Amino acid sequence: MTYLEKTMRNMMVGVLAFGAMATASLAQDKPSIISFNGPAGEAYIGRFIKGIKDTAELKGFDIQVFENQFNQAEQDQQVQQVLAAGVLPDVFIWWPSDAVAGLGSLRALARTGVPVLKINQLPNEQDKQYIFGYAGPDDRLRARNAGYMMREAAAAKSAAGGEGFNVLVLSYPHSYGGYGLSINAFKEAIAGSDLTIIGDVDEGFGQANGYKGAAKAIAALRDEGIHFVYGMDDAILTGGIKALEEAGYSMGEDVIAVGTVCNGDKQLIEEGKQFGTTLQSPLHEGQLAIKMVEEYLETGELANYINFTPNPAVTATNIDTVALRGYDGKLYGIDELCSGAWGG
Amino acid sequence: MTDATAMSVDDLNFIQRIRRDYSPLVIAMVGLFIVVFVAGATLTDDFLTWFNVKTIIRDAALVGIMAIGLTFVTLSGNFFLLSMKEIAALSIICFATLMGAEWNQWGPAEGDPTTSALMMTFLVAFAATMIIATITGAIQGALIGLGGNPIVVTLGAAGLFFGIGSWWSDNLVVSYRRPHGAEWLGTGSFLGDIPNITVAFIIIAVAAELTLRYTTFGRQVYLVGANRAAGRATGHENFGMAIKCCIIASVCAAFVAVAFSGQVSSAHVNYFSSEFGSSGDMTIMVIAIVMVGGNSIMGGYGSTLRTSLGAIFISSIDNMMVLNGFNSGARVLAVGLMIVFSIIVFALVRRGSRAVE
Repeated sequence: MTYLEKTMRNMMVGVLAFGAMATASLAQDKPSIISFNGPAGEAYIGRFIKGIKDTAELKGFDIQVFENQFNQAEQDQQVQQVLAAGVLPDVFIWWPSDAVAGLGSLRALARTGVPVLKINQLPNEQDKQYIFGYAGPDDRLRARNAGYMMREAAAAKSAAGGEGFNVLVLSYPHSYGGYGLSINAFKEAIAGSDLTIIGDVDEGFGQANGYKGAAKAIAALRDEGIHFVYGMDDAILTGGIKALEEAGYSMGEDVIAVGTVCNGDKQLIEEGKQFGTTLQSPLHEGQLAIKMVEEYLETGELANYINFTPNPAVTATNIDTVALRGYDGKLYGIDELCSGAWGG
Repeated sequence: MTDATAMSVDDLNFIQRIRRDYSPLVIAMVGLFIVVFVAGATLTDDFLTWFNVKTIIRDAALVGIMAIGLTFVTLSGNFFLLSMKEIAALSIICFATLMGAEWNQWGPAEGDPTTSALMMTFLVAFAATMIIATITGAIQGALIGLGGNPIVVTLGAAGLFFGIGSWWSDNLVVSYRRPHGAEWLGTGSFLGDIPNITVAFIIIAVAAELTLRYTTFGRQVYLVGANRAAGRATGHENFGMAIKCCIIASVCAAFVAVAFSGQVSSAHVNYFSSEFGSSGDMTIMVIAIVMVGGNSIMGGYGSTLRTSLGAIFISSIDNMMVLNGFNSGARVLAVGLMIVFSIIVFALVRRGSRAVE
């Protein structure tokens, strides 16, 4: 047997095995869903998957989840495998790693006639024709709420005699899609206030990069004065707060920090080192996705094409009382809703 | 060599020795780079300040410590551990889990824990983490020493360790509250305003270099790395050497995990996959540092001092670019170019050395 024949045989076996698994899972009376998304090993996506799985079970759906390691090519391959297996679900949930690069996969999914719900990344001009709706966060609302919180804190500082406050922004990588939406909404929210952005550093995602980016920005901006810091998410901000503390700033007094997403450190808010954040719950996002699927299967359309998860502000004053009712009917506190170090 | 020849060699000044030892191409490339770097450093506002120098070294500390550990593996001729970040991931989950475990609190049941209780918790968590790191290193070292391909062995181990960490933590962030016994390492500073992790980096760098230069074990690392047959002939099998070097690398990775967890009071298996460096992958970053340091990928040539300087060098370039307002894309490009540049220069230098030999 030649190498080519062996390869072909192995591929055939793989597709057949895959098809058998899918058939066993989907060939039941219950409506079925296949979700393509990132890895459960990532804290936010892990909670999203928990949200879709638990809610699907509650609503009587069968669900299969295909995870990729933030790799669109891997997801594209998974899409091809599912289509090759020939057992189609009632709905596809599609969370692309890269929505532009993944357009071919989306088109292939849509061509089967199975409706597709897009998750987490807002629809664009190219992909909106292939999906029946969107469920996920609103980067703009989240950033706007952070801006309003910062205005509130600046107003309190002004009342205490201060004026002309400098803001350091700890950003997502500027090439990331959410950056533009976030920074523009934040700028709109602080427009006309005493707040001026003097630095915008994009070291990368996560706490370590937040720390490193802030440390470098402090070296460049400390003479100018840093009074406020806005983290595009709390993980980045948590690292930034450590860097500011190591540089001798007293958080909450010298510098006021505002973040979003609630994927950082709850204790920083309790201790007054972080003024506040805006809640963005992956658990809620997963539940919302299943709710949209249920609505579509029942009515053949969605009341709203775009469906955002709520982004309420969380500060030290309401941290113990903020709660959201899930789409499963249960009331969740922020320890369950958030994805960072919020369970301690 | 005659006395007359020895005299003439000793009489060469620095420039003449450079011209004798290195090709014009190497001299031109390094010279050009030094000019660009010095110009950049002097023309960049706030670069040459004490605060920023501290920032650069602090920035280099965590990846630098990991890279120092990995250098032992590389110098011993066992290529790289492609599981560095997964060892760190498993270690950080172990450490944070034990730091947050209620059964592990020595002290009063009510009220704030005492300092001794916090330190006891830390010591138990630290010791357990180091034991796990030692086991992970020993397993990989044994498999490599038995003849396993280092790439295959460590890739497989990477999946195993990440999977265990992921399963153990249920993919969730494991957090523990401040105050805790690891704060002194994560965010503390005993020497004025120099962070303890920076001090730890310097101590580890010096200790590693002294070990390689002045101990029997260090000389064996070079011997086995440079010529495995010669090592075997003198009774130094790669089996034992691979185990020892992999344990050193694993313990360094675990130490970084402990320090990072102490800084952020939490742990997640993905912390080392997405959080370090513009490349977003700590293993790649650590390997890059070893390469930029000019260590031979085939073993037997290099030093941990080179690795430490490589870490500071990459950190300096990145820092300079941030101060000049470059965004992440340009910085990734610059770091990539530096790696390629270093590999070319050191390859030319080594080729020249072999020609002289």
